[in-house]
Amino acid sequence: MRVAFVGKGGAGKSSIAGVFARLVARNGGSVVALDSDPMPGLAYSLGVPSTDAGLPDEAVEEYEDSEGRRRYRLPAGMDAASTVERYATVSPDGVRLLQLGKARGAKGENWRSHQAYQLLVDGLSDGDWSVVGDLPGGTRQPFFGWGRFAQTVFVVAEPTPASMLSARRLARLAEHSTAPRVVAIASKTRAPSDAALIEERTGLHVVAAVPYDDAQQEADRRGLALLDLDSDTPLVCAVSALVSSLTVEEPVR
Amino acid sequence: MKVAVVGKGGSGKTTTAAVLARTLARQGVTTLALDCDTNPNLGLSLGFGEERTEGLLAVRDAVDEGEEEHPSTAAELIERFGIDGPDGVRFAVVSAIQNPEPGCP
Repeated sequence: MRVAFVGKGGAGKSSIAGVFARLVARNGGSVVALDSDPMPGLAYSLGVPSTDAGLPDEAVEEYEDSEGRRRYRLPAGMDAASTVERYATVSPDGVRLLQLGKARGAKGENWRSHQAYQLLVDGLSDGDWSVVGDLPGGTRQPFFGWGRFAQTVFVVAEPTPASMLSARRLARLAEHSTAPRVVAIASKTRAPSDAALIEERTGLHVVAAVPYDDAQQEADRRGLALLDLDSDTPLVCAVSALVSSLTVEEPVR
Repeated sequence: MKVAVVGKGGSGKTTTAAVLARTLARQGVTTLALDCDTNPNLGLSLGFGEERTEGLLAVRDAVDEGEEEHPSTAAELIERFGIDGPDGVRFAVVSAIQNPEPGCP
Protein backbone atom coordinates (compact mmCIF):
# COMPACT_ATOMS: atom_id res chain seq x y z
CA MET A 1 0.00 0.00 0.00
CA ARG A 2 1.10 3.55 -0.66
CA VAL A 3 -0.43 6.02 1.74
CA ALA A 4 0.22 9.65 2.64
CA PHE A 5 -0.86 11.54 5.74
CA VAL A 6 -1.78 15.21 5.32
CA GLY A 7 -3.58 17.77 7.48
CA LYS A 8 -3.17 20.85 9.58
CA GLY A 9 -0.06 21.22 11.70
CA GLY A 10 -0.58 19.50 15.04
CA ALA A 11 -3.50 17.38 13.86
CA GLY A 12 -1.63 14.18 14.64
CA LYS A 13 -0.20 13.18 11.25
CA SER A 14 3.21 12.08 12.50
CA SER A 15 1.89 10.34 15.60
CA ILE A 16 -0.59 8.32 13.58
CA ALA A 17 1.78 7.72 10.65
CA GLY A 18 4.51 6.36 12.94
CA VAL A 19 2.20 3.87 14.63
CA PHE A 20 0.65 2.99 11.28
CA ALA A 21 4.02 2.23 9.66
CA ARG A 22 5.23 0.09 12.56
CA LEU A 23 2.01 -1.92 12.72
CA VAL A 24 2.15 -2.60 8.96
CA ALA A 25 5.75 -3.76 9.44
CA ARG A 26 4.67 -6.02 12.32
CA ASN A 27 2.26 -7.68 9.91
CA GLY A 28 5.26 -8.70 7.86
CA GLY A 29 5.41 -6.09 5.12
CA SER A 30 8.53 -4.24 3.98
CA VAL A 31 7.77 -0.65 4.89
CA VAL A 32 9.51 2.55 3.97
CA ALA A 33 8.43 5.61 5.90
CA LEU A 34 9.00 8.94 4.18
CA ASP A 35 9.25 12.13 6.17
CA SER A 36 9.00 15.07 3.80
CA ASP A 37 8.24 17.61 6.51
CA PRO A 38 11.08 20.13 6.91
CA MET A 39 10.39 20.06 10.65
CA PRO A 40 11.14 16.90 12.62
CA GLY A 41 8.33 14.60 13.62
CA LEU A 42 8.12 11.14 12.15
CA ALA A 43 11.48 10.00 13.55
CA TYR A 44 10.16 10.54 17.08
CA SER A 45 6.96 8.63 16.50
CA LEU A 46 8.87 5.74 14.90
CA GLY A 47 11.30 5.66 17.78
CA VAL A 48 14.58 6.47 15.99
CA PRO A 49 17.00 9.31 16.65
CA SER A 50 15.99 12.46 14.80
CA THR A 51 18.54 13.88 12.39
CA ASP A 52 18.68 16.74 9.93
CA ALA A 53 20.24 14.54 7.28
CA GLY A 54 18.57 13.78 4.00
CA LEU A 55 20.00 11.33 1.50
CA PRO A 56 23.69 11.99 0.83
CA ASP A 57 24.71 13.60 -2.44
CA GLU A 58 26.35 10.39 -3.63
CA ALA A 59 23.01 8.55 -3.53
CA VAL A 60 22.46 9.85 -7.06
CA GLU A 61 24.71 10.65 -9.98
CA GLU A 62 24.32 13.52 -12.35
CA TYR A 63 24.19 13.08 -16.12
CA GLU A 64 23.12 14.99 -19.18
CA ASP A 65 20.22 13.74 -21.23
CA SER A 66 20.27 13.75 -25.04
CA GLU A 67 19.19 17.38 -25.06
CA GLY A 68 21.90 18.45 -22.68
CA ARG A 69 19.65 18.85 -19.64
CA ARG A 70 21.00 18.04 -16.22
CA ARG A 71 19.37 14.86 -14.86
CA TYR A 72 19.91 12.51 -11.98
CA ARG A 73 19.83 8.73 -11.72
CA LEU A 74 20.74 6.04 -9.25
CA PRO A 75 24.36 4.91 -9.66
CA ALA A 76 25.09 1.71 -11.62
CA GLY A 77 24.27 -1.41 -9.64
CA MET A 78 21.84 0.39 -7.33
CA ASP A 79 18.07 0.31 -7.50
CA ALA A 80 15.48 1.94 -5.29
CA ALA A 81 15.32 -0.98 -2.86
CA SER A 82 19.09 -1.31 -2.43
CA THR A 83 19.37 2.45 -1.97
CA VAL A 84 16.77 2.29 0.78
CA GLU A 85 18.67 -0.54 2.45
CA ARG A 86 21.90 1.42 2.32
CA TYR A 87 20.71 4.78 3.57
CA ALA A 88 17.52 4.35 5.58
CA THR A 89 17.42 4.42 9.36
CA VAL A 90 15.75 1.25 10.65
CA SER A 91 13.20 1.69 13.43
CA PRO A 92 11.98 -0.89 15.93
CA ASP A 93 9.68 -3.31 14.04
CA GLY A 94 11.88 -2.77 10.97
CA VAL A 95 10.44 0.31 9.31
CA ARG A 96 12.96 2.02 6.99
CA LEU A 97 12.86 5.74 7.55
CA LEU A 98 14.00 8.19 4.91
CA GLN A 99 13.98 11.87 5.65
CA LEU A 100 13.98 14.70 3.25
CA GLY A 101 16.82 17.00 4.28
CA LYS A 102 15.69 19.35 6.99
CA ALA A 103 15.94 23.11 6.98
CA ARG A 104 19.58 23.80 7.77
CA GLY A 105 19.66 27.54 7.43
CA ALA A 106 18.71 30.02 4.77
CA LYS A 107 21.06 28.61 2.12
CA GLY A 108 20.76 24.86 2.69
CA GLU A 109 21.66 23.05 -0.53
CA ASN A 110 19.36 20.05 -0.67
CA TRP A 111 18.77 19.72 -4.38
CA ARG A 112 20.60 16.41 -5.00
CA SER A 113 19.15 14.94 -1.88
CA HIS A 114 15.67 15.92 -3.01
CA GLN A 115 16.27 14.34 -6.42
CA ALA A 116 17.40 11.11 -4.77
CA TYR A 117 14.32 11.09 -2.58
CA GLN A 118 11.98 11.41 -5.56
CA LEU A 119 13.82 8.71 -7.53
CA LEU A 120 13.41 6.30 -4.64
CA VAL A 121 9.75 7.02 -4.15
CA ASP A 122 9.11 6.52 -7.84
CA GLY A 123 11.31 3.44 -8.06
CA LEU A 124 10.07 1.25 -5.22
CA SER A 125 7.85 -1.48 -6.61
CA ASP A 126 4.30 -1.61 -5.37
CA GLY A 127 4.21 -5.30 -4.69
CA ASP A 128 7.27 -5.48 -2.48
CA TRP A 129 7.08 -2.28 -0.51
CA SER A 130 4.52 -0.41 1.48
CA VAL A 131 5.16 3.33 1.47
CA VAL A 132 3.93 5.51 4.32
CA GLY A 133 4.45 9.24 3.81
CA ASP A 134 4.20 11.93 6.44
CA LEU A 135 3.70 15.21 4.64
CA PRO A 136 4.17 18.73 5.97
CA GLY A 137 1.30 20.45 7.68
CA GLY A 138 -0.98 22.73 5.75
CA THR A 139 -1.75 22.91 2.07
CA ARG A 140 1.58 23.78 0.57
CA GLN A 141 3.07 20.47 -0.52
CA PRO A 142 0.63 17.60 -0.42
CA PHE A 143 -0.46 17.32 -4.01
CA PHE A 144 2.35 19.21 -5.71
CA GLY A 145 4.98 16.53 -5.85
CA TRP A 146 5.92 14.89 -2.59
CA GLY A 147 2.55 13.23 -2.21
CA ARG A 148 2.17 11.98 -5.74
CA PHE A 149 3.18 8.41 -4.86
CA ALA A 150 0.09 7.95 -2.72
CA GLN A 151 -2.73 5.61 -3.65
CA THR A 152 -4.59 6.60 -0.51
CA VAL A 153 -4.41 10.05 1.05
CA PHE A 154 -5.43 10.26 4.69
CA VAL A 155 -6.55 13.76 5.63
CA VAL A 156 -6.05 13.91 9.40
CA ALA A 157 -8.50 16.27 11.07
CA GLU A 158 -9.34 17.19 14.64
CA PRO A 159 -12.93 18.13 15.50
CA THR A 160 -12.00 21.83 15.62
CA PRO A 161 -12.99 24.56 13.16
CA ALA A 162 -9.37 25.31 12.19
CA SER A 163 -8.51 21.67 11.59
CA MET A 164 -11.71 20.98 9.65
CA LEU A 165 -11.26 24.16 7.59
CA SER A 166 -7.78 22.93 6.65
CA ALA A 167 -9.22 19.52 5.80
CA ARG A 168 -11.86 21.11 3.55
CA ARG A 169 -9.12 22.97 1.68
CA LEU A 170 -7.14 19.74 1.32
CA ALA A 171 -10.24 17.88 0.13
CA ARG A 172 -10.71 20.55 -2.54
CA LEU A 173 -7.08 20.33 -3.64
CA ALA A 174 -7.32 16.54 -3.63
CA GLU A 175 -9.98 16.61 -6.32
CA HIS A 176 -7.17 17.45 -8.74
CA SER A 177 -4.66 14.95 -7.36
CA THR A 178 -3.72 11.62 -8.84
CA ALA A 179 -4.59 9.69 -5.68
CA PRO A 180 -7.50 7.32 -6.31
CA ARG A 181 -8.69 7.52 -2.72
CA VAL A 182 -8.87 10.54 -0.42
CA VAL A 183 -10.41 9.86 2.99
CA ALA A 184 -10.33 11.39 6.46
CA ILE A 185 -9.04 10.18 9.79
CA ALA A 186 -10.77 11.80 12.76
CA SER A 187 -8.03 12.67 15.24
CA LYS A 188 -8.08 13.50 18.95
CA THR A 189 -11.77 12.68 19.15
CA ARG A 190 -13.43 13.05 22.55
CA ALA A 191 -17.06 12.30 21.73
CA PRO A 192 -18.67 9.53 19.68
CA SER A 193 -20.24 12.17 17.43
CA ASP A 194 -16.86 13.70 16.45
CA ALA A 195 -16.31 11.40 13.47
CA ALA A 196 -19.73 12.27 12.04
CA LEU A 197 -19.04 15.97 12.58
CA ILE A 198 -15.75 15.74 10.68
CA GLU A 199 -17.45 13.80 7.90
CA GLU A 200 -20.13 16.44 7.62
CA ARG A 201 -17.77 19.41 7.73
CA THR A 202 -15.09 18.05 5.40
CA GLY A 203 -17.20 16.10 2.94
CA LEU A 204 -14.72 13.24 3.30
CA HIS A 205 -15.48 9.70 4.34
CA VAL A 206 -14.00 9.06 7.80
CA VAL A 207 -12.24 5.68 7.81
CA ALA A 208 -11.02 5.80 11.42
CA ALA A 209 -11.71 7.71 14.61
CA VAL A 210 -8.52 8.03 16.66
CA PRO A 211 -9.31 9.15 20.20
CA TYR A 212 -7.46 11.82 22.15
CA ASP A 213 -4.76 9.85 23.95
CA ASP A 214 -3.01 10.88 27.17
CA ALA A 215 -0.32 8.29 26.50
CA GLN A 216 0.56 10.11 23.26
CA GLN A 217 0.98 13.36 25.19
CA GLU A 218 3.28 11.58 27.60
CA ALA A 219 5.26 10.01 24.73
CA ASP A 220 5.64 13.46 23.13
CA ARG A 221 6.91 14.96 26.35
CA ARG A 222 9.46 12.20 26.77
CA GLY A 223 10.50 12.11 23.11
CA LEU A 224 9.44 8.48 22.80
CA ALA A 225 7.50 6.55 20.20
CA LEU A 226 4.07 5.77 21.58
CA LEU A 227 4.56 2.06 20.80
CA ASP A 228 7.73 2.03 22.92
CA LEU A 229 5.86 3.56 25.84
CA ASP A 230 2.66 1.54 25.70
CA SER A 231 1.25 -0.76 23.03
CA ASP A 232 -2.25 -0.81 24.43
CA THR A 233 -3.63 2.71 24.18
CA PRO A 234 -6.70 4.20 22.45
CA LEU A 235 -4.59 5.61 19.60
CA VAL A 236 -2.78 2.32 18.98
CA CYS A 237 -6.05 0.36 19.03
CA ALA A 238 -7.69 2.70 16.52
CA VAL A 239 -4.71 2.68 14.15
CA SER A 240 -4.43 -1.08 14.48
CA ALA A 241 -8.05 -1.47 13.38
CA LEU A 242 -7.37 0.84 10.44
CA VAL A 243 -4.33 -1.18 9.36
CA SER A 244 -6.36 -4.40 9.57
CA SER A 245 -9.18 -2.98 7.48
CA LEU A 246 -6.73 -1.81 4.82
CA THR A 247 -4.79 -5.01 4.67
CA VAL A 248 -8.04 -6.87 4.10
CA GLU A 249 -8.77 -4.64 1.11
CA GLU A 250 -5.20 -4.36 -0.13
CA PRO A 251 -3.10 -7.33 0.97
CA VAL A 252 0.53 -6.66 1.83
CA ARG A 253 2.65 -9.00 -0.20
CA MET B 1 6.93 47.08 16.36
CA LYS B 2 6.90 44.28 13.79
CA VAL B 3 6.63 40.75 15.16
CA ALA B 4 6.60 37.38 13.37
CA VAL B 5 5.51 34.18 15.13
CA VAL B 6 7.08 30.96 13.82
CA GLY B 7 7.39 27.36 15.01
CA LYS B 8 6.46 23.75 14.42
CA GLY B 9 2.94 22.80 13.35
CA GLY B 10 0.56 22.57 16.27
CA SER B 11 2.87 24.35 18.70
CA GLY B 12 0.54 27.32 19.11
CA LYS B 13 1.73 29.93 16.59
CA THR B 14 -1.69 31.04 15.45
CA THR B 15 -3.16 31.18 18.95
CA THR B 16 -0.18 33.17 20.22
CA ALA B 17 -0.28 35.59 17.30
CA ALA B 18 -3.99 36.21 17.73
CA VAL B 19 -3.80 36.86 21.47
CA LEU B 20 -0.77 39.11 20.94
CA ALA B 21 -2.56 41.12 18.24
CA ARG B 22 -5.76 41.58 20.25
CA THR B 23 -3.89 42.42 23.44
CA LEU B 24 -1.88 45.11 21.67
CA ALA B 25 -5.03 46.50 20.07
CA ARG B 26 -6.76 46.62 23.46
CA GLN B 27 -3.87 48.69 24.75
CA GLY B 28 -4.56 51.24 22.05
CA VAL B 29 -1.86 50.22 19.57
CA THR B 30 -2.90 50.32 15.93
CA THR B 31 -2.44 46.66 15.04
CA LEU B 32 -2.31 44.81 11.73
CA ALA B 33 -2.49 41.01 11.86
CA LEU B 34 -1.17 39.25 8.74
CA ASP B 35 -1.76 35.56 8.11
CA CYS B 36 1.26 34.43 6.06
CA ASP B 37 0.38 30.72 6.21
CA THR B 38 -0.73 29.21 2.90
CA ASN B 39 -3.31 27.38 4.99
CA PRO B 40 -4.59 30.45 6.79
CA ASN B 41 -6.50 29.99 10.03
CA LEU B 42 -5.56 33.13 11.96
CA GLY B 43 -9.00 34.61 11.29
CA LEU B 44 -10.57 31.90 13.45
CA SER B 45 -8.29 32.69 16.39
CA LEU B 46 -8.88 36.42 16.03
CA GLY B 47 -12.61 35.80 16.26
CA PHE B 48 -13.84 36.33 12.70
CA GLY B 49 -15.68 33.00 12.54
CA GLU B 50 -15.42 30.31 9.91
CA GLU B 51 -17.38 31.90 7.11
CA ARG B 52 -15.43 35.18 7.02
CA THR B 53 -12.12 33.40 7.53
CA GLU B 54 -12.80 31.06 4.64
CA GLY B 55 -14.14 33.80 2.40
CA LEU B 56 -11.49 36.44 2.94
CA LEU B 57 -9.69 37.14 -0.30
CA ALA B 58 -5.95 36.71 -0.11
CA VAL B 59 -4.01 39.86 -0.95
CA ARG B 60 -1.62 38.02 -3.20
CA ASP B 61 -4.32 36.23 -5.16
CA ALA B 62 -6.04 39.52 -5.79
CA VAL B 63 -2.82 41.08 -7.03
CA ASP B 64 -2.06 38.04 -9.21
CA GLU B 65 -5.47 38.21 -10.79
CA GLY B 66 -4.79 41.76 -11.85
CA GLU B 67 -7.40 43.39 -9.70
CA GLU B 68 -4.73 45.92 -8.99
CA GLU B 69 -3.82 47.55 -12.28
CA HIS B 70 -1.11 49.67 -10.77
CA PRO B 71 1.35 48.79 -8.06
CA SER B 72 -0.20 49.57 -4.71
CA THR B 73 1.39 50.79 -1.56
CA ALA B 74 1.22 48.54 1.46
CA ALA B 75 -1.26 50.91 3.07
CA GLU B 76 -3.55 50.76 0.03
CA LEU B 77 -3.50 46.96 -0.01
CA ILE B 78 -4.30 46.78 3.69
CA GLU B 79 -7.08 49.29 3.23
CA ARG B 80 -8.56 47.42 0.32
CA PHE B 81 -8.16 43.79 1.37
CA GLY B 82 -8.01 44.00 5.15
CA ILE B 83 -11.02 43.72 7.43
CA ASP B 84 -11.58 45.08 10.91
CA GLY B 85 -12.12 42.62 13.70
CA PRO B 86 -12.66 42.35 17.45
CA ASP B 87 -10.71 44.88 19.53
CA GLY B 88 -10.05 46.84 16.33
CA VAL B 89 -7.40 44.53 14.89
CA ARG B 90 -6.98 45.04 11.14
CA PHE B 91 -6.55 41.67 9.46
CA ALA B 92 -5.43 40.45 6.03
CA VAL B 93 -4.48 37.11 4.50
CA VAL B 94 -1.25 37.27 2.51
CA SER B 95 -1.35 34.05 0.54
CA ALA B 96 -3.72 31.11 0.48
CA ILE B 97 -3.50 28.01 -1.66
CA GLN B 98 -6.99 27.49 -2.98
CA ASN B 99 -6.21 25.60 -6.16
CA PRO B 100 -3.45 23.24 -7.18
CA GLU B 101 -0.63 25.04 -8.94
CA PRO B 102 2.96 24.07 -9.48
CA GLY B 103 5.85 25.83 -7.81
CA CYS B 104 6.26 27.51 -4.50
CA PRO B 105 3.81 30.06 -3.22
